[in-house]
Amino acid sequence: MREFMHYITNAFYSASDWNEDNTYKELNATARELIDFPLPLGLRLSLSSLATPHFATSYHLGSVGIVDGSISYLYTSVPLRGVAARSDRIPLPALLRSYRELHDIGPRLADTRGGPGLFPLHLPSWLGRSTAAAPSLVNTAPAGDRGGKNKSQLLYGRLYLPQSLLEGLVIKRFSRSLQVQLSAVSQQSLRNGGTLLGLVQYDKGKYGIEGLASSDGGLLGIRGLYNFGGDASPLASAANPQSAAGGESSGGSSTGQTGERERERIYGRFSAGGELYYGTLNKSGGMSLGARFATLPTHRGTPLTATLTINPLMGNINATYAVLAKDYCSLATRMEFNVYSYESEWAVGMELWSNRRPAGFLLGALPNPETEIVATRPRIKERSFQAKMEWRLDDPEPEPEAGAEARPSEGKEKYLGVFKARLDQNLRIGLLWEGRIKSLIFSLGSGVDLHRLDEPFRSLGLDVQYSS
Amino acid sequence: MAFNFNWSPLTADEDFYRRARDLLTTALNKSPKPPIIVDDILVTEFNLGSVPPDLEILEIGDLAEDRFRGIFKMCYSGDAFLTLKTRVQANPLNTYLCSKPSFTSPQPLAAASGLTIPLQITLSEIKLSAFIIVVFSKQKGLTLVFRNDPLESLKVSSTFDSIQFVRDYLQKTIEVKLRDLMMDELPAIIHRLSLRLWCPDQAPKDEDEVKEDEKETALNPLNSPPLDPVDPSGHLLDPTEITSWTLDGSPEVQSLFSQKNLMRVTSLTGSRLTSSLVNPLMQDAMFRAWAGPSERLDATSTPVSTPGLTRTSSFFGNPHTYSFSDNDSQHYGLPARSSMVNLSQATAGLSLGSGRHSKAGRKKKNRVVNLRRKTSSEASSEAGESISETASVDAPASEPIMPIREEPEEEISATNKVRFRPSMDLLQTPRASVETKPLEASVPVPETKDTATPTAPIRLPETLAPTRISEKQQPTEDAKVPRRRPGPQSDTSSVIMEQAWIMKMAGEIARRVYEEKTRNPALWEERDDAPPPAYEAA
Repeated sequence: MREFMHYITNAFYSASDWNEDNTYKELNATARELIDFPLPLGLRLSLSSLATPHFATSYHLGSVGIVDGSISYLYTSVPLRGVAARSDRIPLPALLRSYRELHDIGPRLADTRGGPGLFPLHLPSWLGRSTAAAPSLVNTAPAGDRGGKNKSQLLYGRLYLPQSLLEGLVIKRFSRSLQVQLSAVSQQSLRNGGTLLGLVQYDKGKYGIEGLASSDGGLLGIRGLYNFGGDASPLASAANPQSAAGGESSGGSSTGQTGERERERIYGRFSAGGELYYGTLNKSGGMSLGARFATLPTHRGTPLTATLTINPLMGNINATYAVLAKDYCSLATRMEFNVYSYESEWAVGMELWSNRRPAGFLLGALPNPETEIVATRPRIKERSFQAKMEWRLDDPEPEPEAGAEARPSEGKEKYLGVFKARLDQNLRIGLLWEGRIKSLIFSLGSGVDLHRLDEPFRSLGLDVQYSS
Repeated sequence: MAFNFNWSPLTADEDFYRRARDLLTTALNKSPKPPIIVDDILVTEFNLGSVPPDLEILEIGDLAEDRFRGIFKMCYSGDAFLTLKTRVQANPLNTYLCSKPSFTSPQPLAAASGLTIPLQITLSEIKLSAFIIVVFSKQKGLTLVFRNDPLESLKVSSTFDSIQFVRDYLQKTIEVKLRDLMMDELPAIIHRLSLRLWCPDQAPKDEDEVKEDEKETALNPLNSPPLDPVDPSGHLLDPTEITSWTLDGSPEVQSLFSQKNLMRVTSLTGSRLTSSLVNPLMQDAMFRAWAGPSERLDATSTPVSTPGLTRTSSFFGNPHTYSFSDNDSQHYGLPARSSMVNLSQATAGLSLGSGRHSKAGRKKKNRVVNLRRKTSSEASSEAGESISETASVDAPASEPIMPIREEPEEEISATNKVRFRPSMDLLQTPRASVETKPLEASVPVPETKDTATPTAPIRLPETLAPTRISEKQQPTEDAKVPRRRPGPQSDTSSVIMEQAWIMKMAGEIARRVYEEKTRNPALWEERDDAPPPAYEAA
């Protein structure tokens, strides 16, 4: 579960029209979140509030043997009006969903951005629309877009009480494509009393570059990501304004012969990037190269994301594959291999959404057939077998789009909970069950070690979050 | 006085090495490891080598049945080696991120991916030079402290020797770690082990110690059958039973016993990476303590305090041979004794009119005096406490507490003989009766020590005068050792010293010694003697 402040920060990004995913750091975010989701430990209560559109507070109380807590405040110059901050209104996928659809890189390529409706807040568009949050965000975005896009900033501070640990974060936007982040941690036990990390992000849509400097070890780094193919290709970009303006509906309307053909096949975007670090004080460094292919939201088939990262210095090869098999089911696998030490690792992760009440939640429960019928998935309509064999799409059906438009009007939420599980080669299992009860969002997790069946439960935790 | 110990029996025992490896492995994995070490540290090879360390007794601050305090100088440059295996993280970025707060982490995508490399490190050519303060009390266990940094040099060879940078780094890091280990961790480990080993024997009264006893049994499955009866007997059984038992199988039992003790001590030594010189010393102290009680039972003529001392001294000679190898002591100890006897007699005749015994004692004393002069001459000038300490050091062997106090001043004058005479006179009567009758061997025992002292790296101040050893005792000397164990329990209660005081004294003495050495190192260097023949024999 994403923390409230994380959620607000994402809202800030979207409100200020910043694509936080267009960076090399997030190259394999989907698989990482599907497999390496954090398990709650102990009991943890969070009380949060978006008091005004500019100001949010959050209080945490945790108990893992000892009681600890934290207080955090957040200020943003961009008014977050309309962001669903109440825990009974927050769209669950925004907090819980792991699979990340690609953001549209169009807006920054083409200055004329038609509708802010592209803001997905990590939601596949067909999911994100389902609650009141999406429309409200849609309304918010223009204000942020026009008002504070170039000078928007965010201040965030968090104090962990028993440890006397202070975290600070400043995000300042200098121009449409330039953003600076400054994060700092202060604690007595740290060397020099704390560390400072500066991050300069330059996002041109087609490519994104980051430079960073850390006071710890004098670490300097640079990383970049370059997008090509799909909507980033010249052909697509030519058609991009139209598709961007049209939003999802552009998928249905053909944009030309080539584009049509592209879309018939697996339609996605390639990204490649690399990172390079050097510690000026400890004279050590590191680097890696990576590539990703991910289907675009407009792809009609099964959304998938595949990444491959290589660390030539350490001989590490890491491949991940994540797929949104159904809209209620995501799967991910990861393989790692080291060509020097011949060590290998694998891990699989899974995410199942349920529309049942948490009490009736069962592993692998299918969505209620009733809702299945009602909410005929508009965009992920299965291609007919014949169409697949012939490597083409079914005949275009304009109706589903209309259905998608209608969906937000549905009063009730589609999903009520999600079950996540992972398994790695050490036979360690992580189980996480998240959902909403009344106005509380809970997260119940446990780690299981199959190698020690006498006491398999290695950890157990419950996270409860309330916000207003 | 000096005593020899055989290095090879220590090192030839396969079982000892196995347990030492286990101990080392657990000790190395106990504390949280730095992020660069990603696997358990396994001790795959461990060998103490064939070259024994040089151990020199600089000062004995306190000596009694149940306690011992002394300062030793240890030098070692042998062929011991130790091989460790583990896996290390080769990616510096990975280890860099481990210790940093995640909030300011640069969050590299794959640059921090790990590469673990198996690493084998061999530590060899270890050179040690240290002043060791040993404080032993039956009830408080053994406290061992290095007064200075014991590690002189060390050769680290690893899988990465071909890479200069890595090799230098490992060399530096391991040296630092080893220094920390020896200065901080080792004393604690030894103290814990000593509590486990000795306290159960001595103090059945305390519940804790009983527990420890249980632990000990559990921990040392290797204990030979005789030991187990001894411990319980020490607590519960009457001395008569013990004596009978010891008499019956005295030689065998002794051998078993000494080996066991060796094993324990070796385990102690194993706990530290360096040679085990200190432990043999501890054994001797233990022997005295044990011997003291048993002898005390026998000796009734001398004042209460004296008997214990005299006996301790007498046993002192024996234990050194026992502790390391019974056979050796018997084999070459006897011939040596004969020659030694002659020497001792001659010297005695020359030097003093008193009986052989007294002379023998004096000779030892003389050696003590030498040691002391250097240390005590300066020390004596210092605070009264020091004087008392020195006095106690000198006195413990031959003389009871009362004479001790007088002696220190005399010692300062530099003539031990004078001091001892009065005490010797007191003691002579019993001794004379005993010694004349007893075999020459009784006398020789101390003599052997005397001869050995010059050569032997380990010297004890001869504070211990040869005690009168009854004829019975001599044949059964070996047997007595086991007896003494039970005995000390009763004695210890009476003779307990406050640990704090001991520590304090030890600290002062150590300081003085160190100062002395710094002032005129030449004096100290003179003392380094060639290793005693015993080593070669071994």
